[in-house]
Amino acid sequence: MMHTFIEILRRALDEELARDASVHLLGEDVAAGGAFGVTRGLAEKHGAMRVRNTPISEAAITGLATGAALCGLKPVLEIMFIDFATLSMDCLVNQTAKYRYMSGGQLTVPLVVRTQAGAAGGAAAQHSQSLEAWFIHVPGLVVVAPSSPAEAYGLLKAAIRLGEPVLFIEHKRLYTMKEELADDAELPPIGKARVARAGKDITLIAYSAMVQSALEAAANLADSGISAEVLDLRTLVPLDMATIAASVSKTHRVLIAHEAVLNGGVGAEIAARIGTELFDELDAPVLRVGCPFAPIPFAPELERALLPGAEDIVRAARQMMSGGA
Amino acid sequence: MALVAQEIPKVGLVMEAVKVVRWLKNVGDTVTQGEPLVEVETEKSIVEIEATASGRLKEILVQVDQEATVGDQIAWIESAEAQVASTAAVAPKPQIRESAVERPSPVAVEPRVGDRIRSSPVARKLAAEHGVDVGAVTGSGPRGRVQLDDVRRAIETPTRKRAPPAPAAQGLSPMRRALARTMQLSNATIPQFTVERSVDWTVLQALRAEFSTKLPHGSPKLSVNDFLLQAVARALIEFPALNATFSGDPDSPDARVVQASGAHVGLVLAVENGLLVPVIHDVERYGLAELARRRVDCVERGLKGRLRREEVDGATFSISNLGAQGPDRFTALINPPHSAILAVGRQRDCVVARNGGIEVRPLSELTLTVDHRIADGRLAAQFLARLVGILEGSDWRLS
Repeated sequence: MMHTFIEILRRALDEELARDASVHLLGEDVAAGGAFGVTRGLAEKHGAMRVRNTPISEAAITGLATGAALCGLKPVLEIMFIDFATLSMDCLVNQTAKYRYMSGGQLTVPLVVRTQAGAAGGAAAQHSQSLEAWFIHVPGLVVVAPSSPAEAYGLLKAAIRLGEPVLFIEHKRLYTMKEELADDAELPPIGKARVARAGKDITLIAYSAMVQSALEAAANLADSGISAEVLDLRTLVPLDMATIAASVSKTHRVLIAHEAVLNGGVGAEIAARIGTELFDELDAPVLRVGCPFAPIPFAPELERALLPGAEDIVRAARQMMSGGA
Repeated sequence: MALVAQEIPKVGLVMEAVKVVRWLKNVGDTVTQGEPLVEVETEKSIVEIEATASGRLKEILVQVDQEATVGDQIAWIESAEAQVASTAAVAPKPQIRESAVERPSPVAVEPRVGDRIRSSPVARKLAAEHGVDVGAVTGSGPRGRVQLDDVRRAIETPTRKRAPPAPAAQGLSPMRRALARTMQLSNATIPQFTVERSVDWTVLQALRAEFSTKLPHGSPKLSVNDFLLQAVARALIEFPALNATFSGDPDSPDARVVQASGAHVGLVLAVENGLLVPVIHDVERYGLAELARRRVDCVERGLKGRLRREEVDGATFSISNLGAQGPDRFTALINPPHSAILAVGRQRDCVVARNGGIEVRPLSELTLTVDHRIADGRLAAQFLARLVGILEGSDWRLS
């Protein structure tokens, strides 16, 4: 049976609420299902104490969730849009991410902040951003960005059980994606990338919804005899350089794709690490595909024009393979 | 416009035949005087021959894999400089003189400078692993970048393979031919005698271990060969009569012994189907650490056939050390025009009489072969005694 991303997230949360009494859901309207209906029905099933609506103040509720985690609960906080995480930043960066370090390991913050990001359906400049790069810059935060419903199921459960502050970034374009989910699906380890498609000529590194674009690009490239390997990073912090190294050592060409703008992005970080750690393996400069350095437009036509996708990856990969880069 | 003949210049002492490996220019290409024009395989290495004139490459007379002899004309260059052309075209073929201290004529085999060779990191890595010169590979990438596939093709192309094993039915490889010629020349023209003496490595072994802890970070490990180089250099400086080469026919008024200005010592290196004698120049100037570095560099490039001509030339003396698997003692033939060659037997524990008692010491037999035209038995014996004295002593220069 196929399930949407939203249904699978709900199932993961449901199972974790049932498994561990310290798991609590917090967020704006979560008792009513949240803005996207992910938590629908969970308040009725697990009680209003475990699935709590909060005031509309991201700064306050991030502090609340951090405090709850410090006191022994395992809160799963929903920040409705990553665009609003700017309001959570002071707590996340200066408190949540720092407690373990500043207490010499005496305190832990087992907090998962679920949020959704990316552009889809004309949500405009304030509700469409991909801001993950801001969070990978903060030591102490784990950053997870699943690429499909089945991936999200395992990664969300693993994040809840990790015992560390995790920013869990869901892409709104994936919410309606359907996928089979095995009853005995295993939990992936946090920090381990996966080879989503094996290939030998070029490595396409992606995460979140861009993995789907990379897979589509790889299928397209295969038609013209280019064998692309697609890596799904799954977690941006920690970054699985071992899997990247294994792939780059095989293909010697790398393209990194993400929806976020290229400037100061995750791709820049990965490219730098490849340049340092895998210099001798490279046969061509590392290429990046990402959004132009511009806000996401409201008009659907403009949004489509701006967003990077499979076509952009194919074009860049072809350019690299034909010696144009 | 005038035609200038491009000839094969003389590269080594006994080099006569070369094989064209690769033309670096095509007919019609513009060439500049001094620019690498063609790669040829000599007995010792692959060297680049520079264009002798500027102009346009008009005609290639010797194709890839064909052999040519020193002085042979291998191409025509159409030069705009009529003056140069007319004189060059009638210039006599270069003479092969057995001049002892002959330094290389200014035929460049230096790696090309100026325009940087663009290559990808992984292509360079693969090229290094296979001893392929990235500069000799045509790049298919943007702006001529040499990429992985280009190096793979170069490795697969038969002409790029180093020292292909020649089937028995075929002629000699250039290296074998040169070796045969050199050794024949040595045996036929040099009256050689030998003196022998054993050397006790006890002190040197202890010092080698001690020095190893003092080496700068990243230095190659000290080998007995580094000590041999330093000791031979010191002895050569002390015995200038042996630090020389014999030149000319003894009957000729031109015959002379030419002393060298520094200690230039060859190290015999066994390679596939032959041997090379990379030369470390001015050995007396360097400490053991630097000698080790230079030795490792020479050996590594020697094994890849990438020694420059001047790096196999100019020595007066060579050392042949067949190492731990070698014989107890052996006699080596002089590598013309050297004055002598030292053959180092394997090190083994021997019972020796010391201070009225019996001791077990690590010894090697040293056999010095000397050109009798240059030196006599007494000088050879004194030299060898001094050499052993240095090797058994503790006066070493590390850096």
